[in-house]
Amino acid sequence: MINIDNISFDHCIKCTVCTVYCPVARATHFFPGPKQSGPDAERLRIKNPELVDKSLSYCSNCKRCEIACPSNVRIADIIQSSKWKYFKKRFRVRDYFLARTDLLGSLATRLSFLVNLFTGFFPIKFLLEKFLKIPSKRIFPKYENGTFHGWYKKQKKHQENFKNKVIYFHGCYVDYNHHELGRDLIKVLNAMNIGVLLTTEKCCGVPLIANGYVENARKNALFNISSLGRSVRESGLRIVTTSSSCNLALKHEYPNLLELDNSAIVNHLDFITRFLCMEFDKGNLPAMKPMRIKAAYHSPCHLERMGLVMNTIDVLKKIPGLDLHILHSECCGMAGTYGFKSEFYNVSQKIGKELFDIINKASPDIVITDCESCKWQIEMNTPYKVMHPVSLLAMAIA
Amino acid sequence: MNYDCIIIGGGIAGLTCGIKCLKEGLSCAVISSGMSALHFSSGSIDVFGYDEQSRPVDNPFNYIEKFTALHGHHPYAKCGPDNIKEALFFFKDALAEEGLELHHNSNENHFIISTLGILKPSFFSQRSVYNEEIGGVFGKKSKIAFLNFDGYRDFYPDITIANLKKNALFKDTDFISGNILFPDYGSIKKNPFEFRSVDIARIFDTSRYLEDIAKQIKNKAAHADIVCFPAFIGISNFKKHHEALQELTGKLIYEIPALPPSLPGMRIDNALKSRFASLGGVFIAGDRVISGVIKNGMLENVRTANNMNEVLKSHCYVLASGSFFSGGMTSDSASIREPVFNLRVEYSPNRGDWASDKLFDKNSHKFIEYGVETNDSMNPFGADGSSISNMFCAGAILPHYNPVKDACGSGVAISTGYCAAKNIVNRIKGSKDRK
Repeated sequence: MINIDNISFDHCIKCTVCTVYCPVARATHFFPGPKQSGPDAERLRIKNPELVDKSLSYCSNCKRCEIACPSNVRIADIIQSSKWKYFKKRFRVRDYFLARTDLLGSLATRLSFLVNLFTGFFPIKFLLEKFLKIPSKRIFPKYENGTFHGWYKKQKKHQENFKNKVIYFHGCYVDYNHHELGRDLIKVLNAMNIGVLLTTEKCCGVPLIANGYVENARKNALFNISSLGRSVRESGLRIVTTSSSCNLALKHEYPNLLELDNSAIVNHLDFITRFLCMEFDKGNLPAMKPMRIKAAYHSPCHLERMGLVMNTIDVLKKIPGLDLHILHSECCGMAGTYGFKSEFYNVSQKIGKELFDIINKASPDIVITDCESCKWQIEMNTPYKVMHPVSLLAMAIA
Repeated sequence: MNYDCIIIGGGIAGLTCGIKCLKEGLSCAVISSGMSALHFSSGSIDVFGYDEQSRPVDNPFNYIEKFTALHGHHPYAKCGPDNIKEALFFFKDALAEEGLELHHNSNENHFIISTLGILKPSFFSQRSVYNEEIGGVFGKKSKIAFLNFDGYRDFYPDITIANLKKNALFKDTDFISGNILFPDYGSIKKNPFEFRSVDIARIFDTSRYLEDIAKQIKNKAAHADIVCFPAFIGISNFKKHHEALQELTGKLIYEIPALPPSLPGMRIDNALKSRFASLGGVFIAGDRVISGVIKNGMLENVRTANNMNEVLKSHCYVLASGSFFSGGMTSDSASIREPVFNLRVEYSPNRGDWASDKLFDKNSHKFIEYGVETNDSMNPFGADGSSISNMFCAGAILPHYNPVKDACGSGVAISTGYCAAKNIVNRIKGSKDRK
């Protein structure tokens, strides 16, 4: 039986524009490109699952093919779901842990000092490369001591006292690796007389999806839909996110890839810069001091896919004195857990090369981007510090 | 989010319109669903190629004056001859500012060679397709080489030559055909699926093999005056590599627009987008307008698939969403519709009229001439029959012209996009003056 839910492959007219704009196909000839791997091969796989081709795994799910497609084919979705449907299930320790950012995070934040020391220690990295196939050249994100959720407990009362409030889906990165972004968000919104509430949440599922743990991804998604849905129902508040990939998961991947109904949350969900744009338009613009720095803005692929780049640019333009340079849109190559795998490390670096060159040529004071995994990649490969637009706003407000 | 102007469609019409609006000081956003038809075009700009007897037109501007006097519905008639010329040279200048030069044969058309060896009349071409030197070689006693890269499957020099030989213009011409080997072919060969012009262009863009390729060209085409191969001398560094190859070989290097994705078309697409962005335009890629609210003869706002719970607003709107291919129009067995705003579409109610029985009919197919009906200011008509005064149509969505039969597609797109922008500027400045 053919599943007729996603027969968008049938709309493909074989124009090959997707392959032209595929960062992976550009970096390696081992990936035949999204047209071949997606709509072309899907016809064969439907007839005979044995015809699945291993080159599928090169796809990093950046979704640039879907942005380029003139015929509205959900190419990346076809490739992702084919990976689960047709690849033989094989347990890999590395992928198990990479997929579970929340499990790893809740362990690591308890022993953050040791974990950070070990992951920066070359002999350990050598062993990780040898046995787990995690590239030793990759610099690991640092873990915080304790969780953002834990820190927030003391803030809760104060935040609840605001008349206007939002629910914040912070995601794993803010919770375990980067409390500062969460604190910056609270600072910015509080300066606009908006309180920030948290609710219980699980990892959005992006790393689980990327590593083939579909059922676990579905479980997390159901949990998030019900938890966020309940909060929205009770309070009528809007949900904001600061991670473009978390936002993409909640909005696109839940219905399109995981085939779940996210209608309880989808119309209440805003990526933070869109929320800020709407507030600014209403006249709720916080007082800011001039920032006399040169900032280069890199737009993450997943933000592009959601059409939200214009919002971030609009927000950044509101910062007085900021010398803003918008970089030509290029994929950084990191793609979440993709860059943490030895077999894709070189591809990942080669994809990013164009972007690194553009950044170096712009020679800014800082780089701005909305995505944590772009941040890791750019900080590792250029001499510049990378900040979230919200953190820059927080600096301007101070 | 509020703009002076929102343009639906990021193709040649939409971007020309956007660049003109920005130059006039308006704020402007383009909403584009997927890459445009430029990726499937020759990369040369046709103004008017064939007359009503299918004979090539020499001077398209003179012809348009005669033609539009008899065909008042044609989009060119609504633009007026002065605007058409102004628009085309505005377009040329916009690309030149991005380093992409267009060449033309004063006021006359020139011919470009297709992959199958057919000559097509066109007006503007990139330097590797038409310039004065190239114009001097064709039609004289000369030697022309057609070379392909080994492994590239979208070009067959012998077919091109066989067809060209049938043309009287080439009766005194000697032809050479041959293959050259890409120095880096080893690593590409690992992937048997994709070996397209864009793969080769990327290798050109690294500048690594120019000398080796030049040497092979000199070997295979020793006495040729001009060497032709499919268009793939790079995307970003095209100009530099074209010059370098000509210098190293001492021959003219000619690019034949190849099968899609088209490199010359992509160069124009890149240049237009880059111009649009550097003037401060907002380009929203990968999104579709799915609905709009029309009230009292005005379009009030639009919604897009990605952001259903927010409306986008502007003073004026341009519909440059293309024809059937780009989804600007849809059809079923009985009717043709404009799917977003349900605008009035001009088409024959008799299904039998839509297409000819012959696929390659000299008179082309009627459905290509169907589109959204407009008044002389290019405002479309809503479902209730009244015109929508702050909405303008441009490009392939317009009816009453046949880009296939007349070879006028890109010229109409540029002219109508430009005129739409001028109408918008007048409207917005007019309303400010009244205030």
